[in-house]
Amino acid sequence: MHMTLNRPAALPLLRWPRSPAWLVPALFLAPAVLMLAVFLLYPLLSSFQLSLLDWNGLGEQGRFIGLGNWLHLLHDPLFWRALGNNAWLALFSIVIQLPLALALAVLLDKAGERSRWLKIIYFLPLLMSSVALGVLAKNLYDPNFGPINLLLQQLHLDGLAHDWLGDPAYALGAVIAVVCWQNVPFYMVLFLAGLASFPEDLSEAATLDGASEWTIFWRIKLPHLRGTVRTAVLLAIIGSLRYFDLVFVMTGGGPEHASELMATYMYRTVFSGFQLGYGSTIASAMFLVVTLIAALALRLSRRFQTEV
Amino acid sequence: MHKITALGGLLSICLAWAAGPAHAADQVISEWDQMTNTAASKIMNDAGARFEKANPGFKAEQAHILNEAYKTKLKIAFGAGQPPCVFASWGGGPLREYVKSGQVRDLTPYLAKDPAYKDRFVSTGFNAVTIDGKIYGVPAENTTAAVIIYNKDLFARYKLSPPQTWDELLNVVKVLNANHIAAFALANKAKWPGSMYYMYLVDRIGGADTFRDAVTRKNGGSFAAPAFVEAGKRIQELVKAGAFAPGFNGLDYDVGASRRLMYSGKAAMQLMGSWEPSTIQNENPGFVSKLGYFNFPSLPGGKGDPKDVIGTVGDNFMSVSSSCKNPDAAFKLIQALTDDVSAQARLADKRVMPLKNLNVSDPYLKQIQALVLQAPSVQLWYDQELPPKLAEVHKDTVQALFGLSVTPEAAAQQMEAAAKAELH
Repeated sequence: MHMTLNRPAALPLLRWPRSPAWLVPALFLAPAVLMLAVFLLYPLLSSFQLSLLDWNGLGEQGRFIGLGNWLHLLHDPLFWRALGNNAWLALFSIVIQLPLALALAVLLDKAGERSRWLKIIYFLPLLMSSVALGVLAKNLYDPNFGPINLLLQQLHLDGLAHDWLGDPAYALGAVIAVVCWQNVPFYMVLFLAGLASFPEDLSEAATLDGASEWTIFWRIKLPHLRGTVRTAVLLAIIGSLRYFDLVFVMTGGGPEHASELMATYMYRTVFSGFQLGYGSTIASAMFLVVTLIAALALRLSRRFQTEV
Repeated sequence: MHKITALGGLLSICLAWAAGPAHAADQVISEWDQMTNTAASKIMNDAGARFEKANPGFKAEQAHILNEAYKTKLKIAFGAGQPPCVFASWGGGPLREYVKSGQVRDLTPYLAKDPAYKDRFVSTGFNAVTIDGKIYGVPAENTTAAVIIYNKDLFARYKLSPPQTWDELLNVVKVLNANHIAAFALANKAKWPGSMYYMYLVDRIGGADTFRDAVTRKNGGSFAAPAFVEAGKRIQELVKAGAFAPGFNGLDYDVGASRRLMYSGKAAMQLMGSWEPSTIQNENPGFVSKLGYFNFPSLPGGKGDPKDVIGTVGDNFMSVSSSCKNPDAAFKLIQALTDDVSAQARLADKRVMPLKNLNVSDPYLKQIQALVLQAPSVQLWYDQELPPKLAEVHKDTVQALFGLSVTPEAAAQQMEAAAKAELH
């Protein structure tokens, strides 16, 4: 008898007759939308607004100069050089990091449990602070005391012992090498996750049919990872176009702008040159470039399905 | 409900604990500087404590921030409208940006009210902070000149003496090179260390007015003037003679790359601010006894007085921001930061405040003090004197000169073009 009285009441929300269909999703989305609006949309729009000013970033708002900064940007050889350097970084990131990461992932996946320690060791560079890594790399490259040049000289390869960070011809390459070294583990983990979802019976069936390891990799595993590769390429491009930290620590964009990236150029313009307006123009242009290229890359690869 | 009150209570306890004894907002005087090493920051903190003791109810809220980060942080704070009450700067161009934006309080009336305080300082101490006849800061830290420090042992071993002329310098370079030693250690990643050579060369070749005229755009002054071109040629002459240890344009002064070259005996000299021996004292005390120094040599046919120096009378200057709610107290804090107790403490830390009656016993410091105070001209570092945007162009072109990737003529033209756009 008491049992019937104790029946739990239905949730009030479900019985609320006037709740329109959009209200609940809207309420759930509101916090996220609010966060995006405050921390993404507002800064984005205000930095575009600042790009229309000639302003040192202090005191009263600056002088409105319309698209003056943007016109200057179009004719600024330094910006184009920085953009070019970003493009090199993106290219090398894709060409060096991804194959290396894929190879490591395949090998680690094959070794399974036995590779647990190796996984941790390979993952370490990603966990290091970029600043610490940059200082470390600077010491490695030091032309007077650095182990790289000392080793080359010991091997009587003096001709290869360059002034890695001080010579404009080598600075960008020297930094890119370290950037790649730091980021390989990230893509390795990405590929490992992709490989984990690979159905074993497929390769078993292929082995029974007489396929070699090599064939299985190229014909079955790699196509299976297509979505992951696509994601990795996209992340590499976006990451390279926005890159800042290691370059800033190792060369500061120099010497003579040889390793200048859009982000380091923006930083210098705002914080050393006191040109907040023009700096914001560079930042906004950077956003446009990244968005355009990311959209293009997405579109070009739309027929593949994302899996990670 | 109970939960909320409990939470509120806890929160207020936390807040009270964090805030310490309560101070009204205008009784907290915030102060920022870039004195991060232990000795230097203690001097600032002790002065802050003296200020609090002399002005009961006031609190000095001090922050010491590392050099490059300091410049960025200060700029953001001003841009966001929340600057500290009292802040340190190097005077010159960047301070002028803050003044132009109405962010810095004119200290002339405060100094006029207290002539006994003002007259303690040597008069040139206010040059870098005087803008349109108004004084915006007080010299606080040091009297500094760029000098060439050298390893006396190496000079003795190869029977060299400090060069007084350019030709003697080239000879020193030759002898050292023949013994596989680089003449100069230069860490030019941040570009200002290389600028020191350029500034001295311009002064020695064209005289102290060359740069002044180019900046003020008076007397036909121009950054494309022959002295600037010639200075670029001399730099490239040194580079081609192999005067600098390899890698100079990529080496980082802040992590000691140039000093390491001197410690190891791979380089014999370094052109650097006279603060360098005190840095070396902290880093490698045993090396200090090997150090000697000399002034930058003269150039053949040069118009500059070899006694001119590039440097600063004051080094750091303390200013008050316009938005400070209690400027009177802020000025009192500055006075504490620059009083005789602070001056003596700085002296013990090997820094010489620009005061008239400061008795310096350390022979090296005494010589530097005399060098700067008796110099016919003391030129502030170009990168601090120039408007920031132009300073960037200056540093970029000089680094390119060192890298041999631009001709002296083109570098001078580039600088002049930027100056035309920037200076009116």
